Amino acid sequence: MVDVEIKRDRIVIRWREKKWDWMIEPRYWRNTMYWTLALILFPVFAYFLSPGLVNTMVSANIYAAIAIPLSLMTVGTGRINFGPNFYIGVGGYVAALLSIHLGMSPWLTLPLAVLMSAFCALVFSPLVIMAKGLYYVLLTLLLPLLFLEVTFIWTGIFKGDVGLFGIELLFDLGGAKLNFIAAAYVSAAIMLLFLLIANKVLKSRYGLIMAAINDDEEVAHGIGVNINLVKILTFIGASAMIGVMGWFMAHYFGTFSGITYLPLTYMLKILLVFMVGGRAQIFGCVAGGYFVAFLEEFLIRVMGDFQPVAFPIILLILLFVLPRGEGLFGLYRRRHYREYMPQIHVRR
Amino acid sequence: MSEILTCTNITKRFGGLVAIDDVSFSIKKGETLGFIGPNGAGKSTMVNVMGGYLKADAGKIILDDVDITKMPPHKRVHEGIARTYQIPRPFPELTALMSVDVASICGKNRKNQSFEDAAGDATHYLEFVGLFSKRNIIAKDLTFFELRMLELARALATTPKVLFIDEVMAGLNPGEASTAVKMVLKAKEQFDLTIFWIEHVMAVLVEAADRIVVIQYGQKIAEGTPDEVVNNDTVVEAYLGKGWRNYA
Amino acid sequence: MLDTIWFVLFFGFLMGAVYLLIALGFSLITGVLRIFHLGYAYLFPLTIYGTWFFMSELGLPLIPSIVGMVVVQLIVSYLLYTFMVKRYMDDEMTLLTGLLIVALIVEQFAAWRYPIQEGVYLETTLMDGIFQLGLAVAPKQLVLASIIALVMTALFALFFIKTKTGLAVRALSQDILNSQFVGLNVEKLYILTMMLILIPVIVAMLLIAPIWTVEPAMGWQYMTTAILIAVLGGLGNIKGTIIAAFLIGIDHALMCFVVGEPRFMNLSALALVMVILIVRPQGIARSESIW
Repeated sequence: MVDVEIKRDRIVIRWREKKWDWMIEPRYWRNTMYWTLALILFPVFAYFLSPGLVNTMVSANIYAAIAIPLSLMTVGTGRINFGPNFYIGVGGYVAALLSIHLGMSPWLTLPLAVLMSAFCALVFSPLVIMAKGLYYVLLTLLLPLLFLEVTFIWTGIFKGDVGLFGIELLFDLGGAKLNFIAAAYVSAAIMLLFLLIANKVLKSRYGLIMAAINDDEEVAHGIGVNINLVKILTFIGASAMIGVMGWFMAHYFGTFSGITYLPLTYMLKILLVFMVGGRAQIFGCVAGGYFVAFLEEFLIRVMGDFQPVAFPIILLILLFVLPRGEGLFGLYRRRHYREYMPQIHVRR
Repeated sequence: MSEILTCTNITKRFGGLVAIDDVSFSIKKGETLGFIGPNGAGKSTMVNVMGGYLKADAGKIILDDVDITKMPPHKRVHEGIARTYQIPRPFPELTALMSVDVASICGKNRKNQSFEDAAGDATHYLEFVGLFSKRNIIAKDLTFFELRMLELARALATTPKVLFIDEVMAGLNPGEASTAVKMVLKAKEQFDLTIFWIEHVMAVLVEAADRIVVIQYGQKIAEGTPDEVVNNDTVVEAYLGKGWRNYA
Repeated sequence: MLDTIWFVLFFGFLMGAVYLLIALGFSLITGVLRIFHLGYAYLFPLTIYGTWFFMSELGLPLIPSIVGMVVVQLIVSYLLYTFMVKRYMDDEMTLLTGLLIVALIVEQFAAWRYPIQEGVYLETTLMDGIFQLGLAVAPKQLVLASIIALVMTALFALFFIKTKTGLAVRALSQDILNSQFVGLNVEKLYILTMMLILIPVIVAMLLIAPIWTVEPAMGWQYMTTAILIAVLGGLGNIKGTIIAAFLIGIDHALMCFVVGEPRFMNLSALALVMVILIVRPQGIARSESIW
């Protein structure tokens, strides 16, 4: 059926009439291994130094893990989705409601949360075909706000601004600190998994097709790319990935309420992770996530209740100061002249 | 020789304006069909209709015994149609190699072709048009002539049966223009193509085309060999106006 | 039955007129200048809390406070143009995010300084009392607001059709490069338009402040409605925006009086917009011009 052949520098996989070459390039593994090691060791250090930092790490992983599918979606559909937190809401509420009313365990609610996010994405997928540029931005901006309205309207089910309590936790290892560490490792694992998936997709032929669609849809259509299929699949896949993060947050915090995640403030945080990290550079999303999470924590400790005002001000300054289009990741990696990087074209 | 592409009674309206009015013609396999007409006659609209970007209001298009009238553009590419654009439309952020890569991967249903194999295939087409040395340069940085060649390579990489060429000489200096024409003819010979060639410069078509179709205001006014068309009074009148005889 | 129809028409008209004022600026700035002014939401809290600032902190009476607030708004518009729009004109993503952050900063600042408990109240009531037409009853202030809305829209339309500057802005909305070629001072026109759109919002906010709620997060609610109306009407087209505003007004009135569930107002508006966009993707407008 599936035929795997291991050659000197690649693994060749054949199935039916398709063929995949997976190149084996150990020289690119070094950096990944160092950073993964750092990720694994950090919670251990933080546990002894300052346990609150473990929470910050979880937040950072969450931000990064939402920004990575957002990048994938942006390149694959050629449009910027300004309302990714809609799927956080979907995933989170599914997990919360199933856990509270039907007593399902977290691992059971996971596939259902993913399915529901995928289903909602399917329902809204005509947006990707019909709306372009500004219209798409505006309509996707509205979706989470309207979901928020829904949670207020049907307060009986969604419990509006109070939120849902009593969701089963991911782990119950006896102590709160141990729970946090376990959650930190799970969130890091999810983030690394998303990173792996996104990286593999973007570096493969599907990534190239997505790049072509991002650049000029009509021309891509004219050389044989089935643009609608690719756009819809990317949209649904990335939305399902974002739904997983909603599931995680519901089971991590034990409570879930739309007003935390659906308003524009949260969406802006994710967008800033996306932009500060370097826009559609998926490794930059990780850097962005950690930066934003630790900045938030630092500001809360230093400025107290002025933090909600100081945070956007600092982010605005960052927006000005960082290299254009490349954010933090641009500082880390000076590009060679005119290398290919996925760009976002917002058509005028 | 059999007919490879047949268009019957194609009509396309934009609101009240009839851009193409009941045009029918057919192309035989291996032929070069020229398509000429004064400005605004509807040539580019015809290419868009045949390519699938515009839906014809009436008429049928049959490619190699397959009715492609209702097919979306990418399916038509899979059946064997490719086109170049009058003003080159490259993928601005992709390198030349990547642009042709996409065409190679998606142009047809390729069997046993991995991503790396497609890159190899793409370099073959780049080399054919003479862009191999520019393969890693982003399309934004290529010259106009190189962009035209890239368009051609991209169209060829989809291994078409019929290739629509839309004014390949526009905007090129005489040296580049003759290279471009030679490239098209070389491609036709090497890849066994049928060519549908829209052009303004008559000298090229008189030599290269087997037959020419002339349209004016959306209607076909003449069809025949280059000699017949050039000497056709209606055609000359379309270009020069009614009183041309007085000045002949 | 007849009563319900009358209520729907009456309140649909009143609300539609106020929505028109709110959405006019957004439609213009987004469609004309092709700037995705996602920070439009900052205008609403800035009007109310700006005036309140002058009144409560500096102790000025109402009229000078309003003047002070207008001056502040003009300065903010100018700064926004110089430091954001001009710098990031070709980089829409940064521009979008930057403008959105500005709206967030204003909202958070207002929430921090004047939380809801402060009881911010502006006494801008021009006409006290209740207006009754048939069985429908509404505050006179609201009726006055809707009349002023129509007059203001008419003035805007006249400005764009009859004046030279209006013609210049219309040209700018079509093609920036060509406008420069024919000698228009593009920068001055941008700044003028950014300041022009302040007028309907300030007027609307001041008129309805006594009758509708005032809170730091009010901007997002109004912006949602403005977005829906602008998208429905066709960005940058005044005729389309007028029709769309009243359509949404009537839709909201329908939700209140026929369906009986005011909470569905926004959802129903979104559903309406999506349905019409499926049928007519460019919105109600017939053309891509201002009028």
